[in-house]
Amino acid sequence: MAKEMALVSVGIDVGTTTTQLVISQLTLVNVMPGSQVPKVEISHKSITYMGNVYITPFEDRQHVDGAALRAIIAKEYEKAGVKPEQIDTGAIIITGETAKKENASEIIHSLADYAGDFVVATAGPDLESVIAGKGSGAEALSKRLHACIANIDIGGGTTNIAYFDRGKCIGTACINVGGRLFEVDPLTHHLNYISAPGQTVMNHCYPSGSLEPSEDEVLVIRKCLKAMVECVERVIFQEPLLAQDRPLVMTNTLPDILLNGVVFSGGVAKYIYLPGIKEWWIHGDVGPLLAEAFRESRIHSSFSVHEGSETIHATVLGAGAHTVNVSGSTITISKDSLPLRNVPAVYPEVGALGMFSWLKPAENYNDSLYRTVALVVPALPNTDFKTICTLAEALASELPIIKGEPKVIIVQQDIAKVLGQTLQRLLPSVPLICLDGIELALGDFLDIAKPLPHEDAVPVIVKTLVFAR
Amino acid sequence: MSLEDNVRLIVEQMLKDMGKGKSQPSASSQATAPILDECQITDLAEIDLQRYLQVPSPANSALYAEMKLSTPARIGVWRCGPRPLTDTLLRFRADHAIAQDSVLGEVPEDFPAKYGMVSVQSLCQSKDEYLTRPDLGRKLDAENLEILRQGCQKGAMVQIIVSDGLSSKAVEANIPNLLPALTQGLEGMGVKLGTTIFVRGGRVAVMDTIGEELKPEVAVILIGERPGLGTAESMSAYMGYNPRQGMVESERTVISNIHKGGTPAAEAGAHLASLIKKILDVKASGVKLE
Repeated sequence: MAKEMALVSVGIDVGTTTTQLVISQLTLVNVMPGSQVPKVEISHKSITYMGNVYITPFEDRQHVDGAALRAIIAKEYEKAGVKPEQIDTGAIIITGETAKKENASEIIHSLADYAGDFVVATAGPDLESVIAGKGSGAEALSKRLHACIANIDIGGGTTNIAYFDRGKCIGTACINVGGRLFEVDPLTHHLNYISAPGQTVMNHCYPSGSLEPSEDEVLVIRKCLKAMVECVERVIFQEPLLAQDRPLVMTNTLPDILLNGVVFSGGVAKYIYLPGIKEWWIHGDVGPLLAEAFRESRIHSSFSVHEGSETIHATVLGAGAHTVNVSGSTITISKDSLPLRNVPAVYPEVGALGMFSWLKPAENYNDSLYRTVALVVPALPNTDFKTICTLAEALASELPIIKGEPKVIIVQQDIAKVLGQTLQRLLPSVPLICLDGIELALGDFLDIAKPLPHEDAVPVIVKTLVFAR
Repeated sequence: MSLEDNVRLIVEQMLKDMGKGKSQPSASSQATAPILDECQITDLAEIDLQRYLQVPSPANSALYAEMKLSTPARIGVWRCGPRPLTDTLLRFRADHAIAQDSVLGEVPEDFPAKYGMVSVQSLCQSKDEYLTRPDLGRKLDAENLEILRQGCQKGAMVQIIVSDGLSSKAVEANIPNLLPALTQGLEGMGVKLGTTIFVRGGRVAVMDTIGEELKPEVAVILIGERPGLGTAESMSAYMGYNPRQGMVESERTVISNIHKGGTPAAEAGAHLASLIKKILDVKASGVKLE
């Protein structure tokens, strides 16, 4: 009989415009037949509570209002009927323009502590792109169609693009193009705030002095939005960037590959799929107009446009249900050494004869606040016992010199148990965590939860912590 | 080089040699040329089927390659019709031959000694008898029991047994990596091991016979599985608490599919070590362990 385990997972997205919370239940099960070495996987994800969409609270233009955010989370937990102690895992992600605020890092870490025992703080435009693409269903769609699908998540501050090739993320980009870079007064329909990226575009479209006060403001906005969308076009179609694009393109690792289709998500996407809104000013921003500019773009006309399973909730769903990995059950864990938070991943240098060394790369974290580091072991040419012993000896000679405990090792192949046992023989008194089955491709920090009951498996969240400044 | 090219080459060479034969009556040169060429034919079974794309110009080669990689089954073998292509048919027979070789083959004479095992033989005197009389594979005669009494420690916490079972190749492929990992894991947990035993022509329940004689707390038998067309190197580990005559099958815990494409041998050894520790702690195996 397969034993099922359930995890309650929360996703909280603190975006440029809105903040939202979603609670989901992840079902874990041993997917192998009874006579084989067990392997625990997430078999099912279901949403148990979908929170209201709140306007992200700010103290002023440069500071997020932490107290108000905490109040929102408390209120939502109450409505959902859960207590922070009941939340097993999840992620809180700070995205878009909000991640640029001065107190972003401090606020998100304290919120993560408040939201539950193992809710992790994440940030970073690349991770945001991937999470949005998973939450919107673009990842699943690309897997189902065996195709290359781009997810374009258009939020208030940024447009996050992720390419998924047959279910695997192969590149991301983050562009400062969003619906709230210009804000309008819902009564007068006049611009009342232009963000820094918005101003850059405006300056390009209307070089100093050329903007007549008599000019129709809506036309001005449309022209700027068209210029912004053209920048996104150049990124997607791999065309050379123009001078005015450079301040907008924050990150771009998109490969030159033929896309089979696109999915739009984010708050603005709603108006791409449902065009024709008359009261474009209803949100006090230019989101509906930006959607129109996207509809008229080459992106919309060149590719087949698919509808994902989620638009505005994509990022929050992704954060809640798609960030957790499970490593198990052939792993090695010393007693009482978990959970661990914010462990940086350290990749080795490859020396002569293909030997790995982590000493130098680990030095970067010597003076840092991190409790320990995770040494990543790349794929070995084979998994023979001899090869593993050689690796273990290399690790055993370096581990005592590298700061921090417990010692964390992440291997790419299915050898975590035998490597762990070999290391325990070589370093009997050192607390050790040796894990496999974790995709490290998109993150540089790990949070490792307490082992699950019944099976030797641990939930792991791989994340980035880049606060765009 | 594809098979077709190979065949064409050989045929061309043979035709050339036949032509030569008329003017050059030396029999030896005629005989050697084709044989040399034959040696250059790549072993069909060496080709990795999951990476071998037989369809000549697929519409979507990336998807085709992905589907092939997703299963060891013989999919995408090109052309429907009254029979498979020669290539496909030959490969099928080659894999079948490997499976048969694995059943009928012998573990080398010096193999047990290399790993410090005491070697015994079941009541089966030949492969034929082994295949047709499973009951004999579970028993040892007085002479072999005496070897155990002389060479093995009695009353160990864990008795490791290795047997060829239905695949000698499984033993040769996995034991060099599995055994040291298993031993290291158990010793690391403070478990005392008996002398490892190798049983030629053994069945799983030979552990009962050995258990009756040596009285270990737990016996584990690492035994070659019946080979299939996918792999001939798969091994299983059966574990029993208090192994004795008359123990029932439901008292055995099993971990199967130990091979390169399943659980790698070294990792399996480490996993078995902690599983055996659990059996020792709970003092039960099989369904009672759950």
